[in-house]
Amino acid sequence: MSKRAPILELKSLTKSFGTLNAVDGIDLDIAEGEFFTIVGPSGSGKTTLIRMLAGMEQATSGDIILSGKRINDLPANKRPTCMVFQSLALFPHRTVGENIEFPLKIKGIDPEARKKRALALLDQLRLPQNYYDKSVLRCSGGERQRVALARALAFDPKILFFDEPLSAIDYKLRKTLEKELKDIHRETGKTFVYITHSLEEAMVMSDRIGVMRSGQLVQVGTPNEIYSAPKDKFVSEFMGDVNVIPVTMNGSRTITADTFDKTFAVASVPDAFTKGHLVIRPEFVRFVATSKDADNVLEGKLYNEYALGSRIQYQVRIGENVFIVEKLRQHSSDLKRDQTVLIGWDAKDSILVTG
Amino acid sequence: MSERSRHALIWAWTLAVLVFVYLPALCILLASLTASRYFLFPIPKWGLDWWRKTFDSIEIHQLFKTSISIALCVTVIAVVIAFFGALAFARYNWKGRTLFQKIVLLPIFFPQSVLGLALLLWFNAIGLQMSWMTAVFAHLVWIIPVVTLVISIQVYSFDPALEEAAFDLGASRLQVFREVTLPVLLPGIVSGALFAFLLSWGNFPLSLFTTGADTTIPEYLYAKMVAGYTPGVPVLGTVSTFGAAFILLGGYWLITLRRRAQS
Amino acid sequence: MAALHDSGRGMSQGARNALPMILFLGVGFAAPLLAVIAYSFMPERSFGLIHPPTLANYVEVFTGNSYISFFWSLLFAAMTVCILAVICYPIAYGLSRVFGRWAPILTLLFTIPLFVSENVRLYGWILFFIKNGVLLGTLKSWFGIELDSWLFTRGIVLLGMVYVYLPFMLFPMTLGVSMVPNETREAARDLGASRWQIFREVELPLSMPGIMIGLLLTFVLAVGAIAEAKVLGGQTIIPITHDIEIAFTYAQNWPLGAALAVLLMLVVGTLVLLVLKRFDLDAILGKR
Repeated sequence: MSKRAPILELKSLTKSFGTLNAVDGIDLDIAEGEFFTIVGPSGSGKTTLIRMLAGMEQATSGDIILSGKRINDLPANKRPTCMVFQSLALFPHRTVGENIEFPLKIKGIDPEARKKRALALLDQLRLPQNYYDKSVLRCSGGERQRVALARALAFDPKILFFDEPLSAIDYKLRKTLEKELKDIHRETGKTFVYITHSLEEAMVMSDRIGVMRSGQLVQVGTPNEIYSAPKDKFVSEFMGDVNVIPVTMNGSRTITADTFDKTFAVASVPDAFTKGHLVIRPEFVRFVATSKDADNVLEGKLYNEYALGSRIQYQVRIGENVFIVEKLRQHSSDLKRDQTVLIGWDAKDSILVTG
Repeated sequence: MSERSRHALIWAWTLAVLVFVYLPALCILLASLTASRYFLFPIPKWGLDWWRKTFDSIEIHQLFKTSISIALCVTVIAVVIAFFGALAFARYNWKGRTLFQKIVLLPIFFPQSVLGLALLLWFNAIGLQMSWMTAVFAHLVWIIPVVTLVISIQVYSFDPALEEAAFDLGASRLQVFREVTLPVLLPGIVSGALFAFLLSWGNFPLSLFTTGADTTIPEYLYAKMVAGYTPGVPVLGTVSTFGAAFILLGGYWLITLRRRAQS
Repeated sequence: MAALHDSGRGMSQGARNALPMILFLGVGFAAPLLAVIAYSFMPERSFGLIHPPTLANYVEVFTGNSYISFFWSLLFAAMTVCILAVICYPIAYGLSRVFGRWAPILTLLFTIPLFVSENVRLYGWILFFIKNGVLLGTLKSWFGIELDSWLFTRGIVLLGMVYVYLPFMLFPMTLGVSMVPNETREAARDLGASRWQIFREVELPLSMPGIMIGLLLTFVLAVGAIAEAKVLGGQTIIPITHDIEIAFTYAQNWPLGAALAVLLMLVVGTLVLLVLKRFDLDAILGKR
C-alpha cells in the first residue's frame, strides 16, 4: 500500500452533551481509498463520531477536514459523503430502481441516464436486472443491504460511511456480505469508513482499525498490529478469550505475577513499563511434558473442554485462575477432567500491556 | 371451559352485540320503505315514494349543501393542522412534548354539548354571527385532536432514518418532505381525512349550538324526530348510514389495495 | 429521533410543528372555557360580560334542585360505564386474540355507526320500541300479544346511552387488550396458573391503561349526554345537560347555565387530570 494523502483529517474532534463528552478530542487521518473501521463497545461514541463525519450531528469543537477543506459547517446534503444506515433506511414506498436512482433524481439527471446507471449498479452488486421494478418490501435481508449500498454508490461519494449495517443479520449471511463488501471496496477504490462492535468483523475487512473507548481512540493500526501488539488490556481483551495475568516489574527488570509466585520470561518490555498485564493468546499456549519444554511453564488441572468448530479450547485451572489453551481439532490432546497438566508458552509470545 | 368453547362464546357474543348495533339501522331502513305517512309495523304498503320525495326536496338539497360544506372545510383544515400536530405528538423529542400530548387530548375527553355551549358563549362574547362557518370552527376544536391521534399512530412507525438518508443523498429539506415524509405518511393522512369528514358529517351536539340560522342534516333530523315526523326522516337516516359505511369501506379497501400492491 | 440538522437556536422542530394546533386550541378551546367561567360570575339573566362579578348563580345552583339533575347524569353515566365495560371486554378480547383475519372487518363494522349522527341511531330505537313499531307491531300481528311501549322509561334511556357510547368503550379497550404480549400469557400458563388467575394477574393489569381510558372516555362523554334522555326518555329523566340547555334557551339565563356548565367541567376535568396523569401515551398509541 503506497503512501496516499489523507482524504479525511480529524483534529481534536469533540462532541459533548452537557458535561459528558461522547467524542473526546479525536485525532485521526484516514487515507484515500482506505477501508478504515472504528471498533468499540456500545457507548464508546463510535456512532456519534460517524454521524458527525456524515453531517447528522454538529461537532462541539475540533475540525473535520475533507480533502483539505474544513467541512464542519457543511450540511449533510452538501457533503460529498454518503452513509449506509443500520436500518438501511430504504424508502418503503419506492421500488429498488427508484431507491437507487434517488440521488441521481435529486441531482436532476434525466430518466434514461438514471436507469442506465441503476442497472449498471444492480449488476455490480450482483442483483438481477429485473429487480429494478421490484418493491423493496419484498427483498430479502441480504438483497436490501445490496440495494442500500447501490443507492449510496449512485450518489458517487468520496467517502462511504457504514453504521453497523450487518449487526442484525445471521452469521452465514454476514460472512457472505463481509466478503462482498470487501470486493466492492476493491472494485470502486472509494474510501470506506465503517463502524462495528465486532473486532472479528473489522479484522476481516479493514486496512486499518481504530479501537475506541469512552470517546477516545485507544489504538490505531493494521489488523495485524492490533492483534499482535495491543496497547492495553482493553484492546487485547476485545478480541475475545485471551490469557491475562496481572504483573509487576521488579527492580531487577524481572516480571513477576502479582497474585502468585512466578517469574516470567518475556522477549521485550515496553519503555516505562512498571505495572500491567501479561497477555498470552490461547493459540500460543500448549501442553508440555516437562518444565523445560517451554520458556514459561505452569501446572494446573484440566477444568473443561469446548469444541469450537475447527478449534478445541481447553480450560486449565491454576490456583484461582483459569487458563485457556487452544488447539486445532486435528492436534487435539487426549485428556481427562481434573487431570494434572503442564502448560507452557514461549517468551516471544508474551505480550506486556499497561492498564 | 375449553378454549374452543370459550372462543365460540366470544364469537356468539360479538355477533349478538353487532346485531344489537345494527338493529336501529335496520328499522330505519324499513321505515323508509313504507308508502304511508306514519310508521306501522309490519309495513302495510311498501314503496319508494318517500325516497323520491326526499331527493326532490329543495330543503333537503340545502341541508346537504350545508353539511357537505362544513365537512369539506373541516377535513381540509383539520388534516393540515393535525399533520403538523401529529409530527409534534409522535416524532420529535422536544421539551413540552408530554404536556402537549395531554393538551391535545382535552377536547376529546370533554362533553360535546358543554363544548358547543361554551363556543356559543364565546362567539357571542366577541360579537360573531353564527353560521355554518362558526360550526366549522366548532367541529375543528374536537376533530383536530382526533385526527392528530389517527395520524400519530402512523407517525409512530415512521423511521426517522428515512429522512436522514434522503438528506444525506443530497435532497433539500423541501425535497425530503415531498419525496419521503409525505408519501410514507400518506395512509395515516388519508385515514385522518376520512375520520374528519365523517365525524363532521354526523355531528349533532356541536352543530346544534353553533350553526345559527344554517341547519345541518343531523339538526334537521333531530327537529323532525321531536316534532313533525315524516318518513323522509328515515330516508335521510338510511342515506347517512349507508353513506358512512360506503365511504369507510371504500377507504379501507383503497388502503389495503395499495398495501397489497406494494408487497 | 434527531431532527434534520437541528440548529439549536429558536424553537425546536417539535415546538414549531405544534404551534398551529396550540394557537387554534387556545382560541377554540381555552378561550371559550374561560368565557364560560367568566359568564358564571355574571348577575343572573344578564348578557355580556360587562357586569360586576357575583356568586349569585352558584348560590342558586346549590340551593335549587339542579343537584337532582346532576345526580341523575352522574348515576346514568356510571351505570352506562359499568354495563359497557362488561359488554365490551369480551369483544375487545375477541378482536385482539380470537378473530384473526376477521378482526379488521369486524372493527370496521363496529366503527361505521360512530359516523352516523347519534340522534339518527337513537331514532331507530324509537321505531323499534314504539307502539306499532317493529317490536310491538310484530308481537301483535304474529303472536297476538299486546304490550305497552317501553319507551319513555328510565330503562330505555339507559339502553340508548349504552348503545351510543359503545364504540368509545370498545376501541380503547381493544387497544389495551392488544398490549398484553402473548408470551406473558403463555408463560403464566406454563407456570401453572388457571384461566381465572391468568386473567386476574396478567391480562387485566396489563390491559389496564386501555381499559382506564375506555372507562374515562365513556364516562366523560356520557355525563354530557343530551339526546338520549330527550329522544327516548321524554320527561322521565332530566340530565344536567338538559338543565344547562334550558337555562341557555328557554330561561334566557346564560349566567346560570354557565355556572352549571362550570360545575360539570370541574367534575370532568378533575377525573381526566387524575387518570391521564398516570399514563404513558407513547406506549399505548404504538411506540414499541
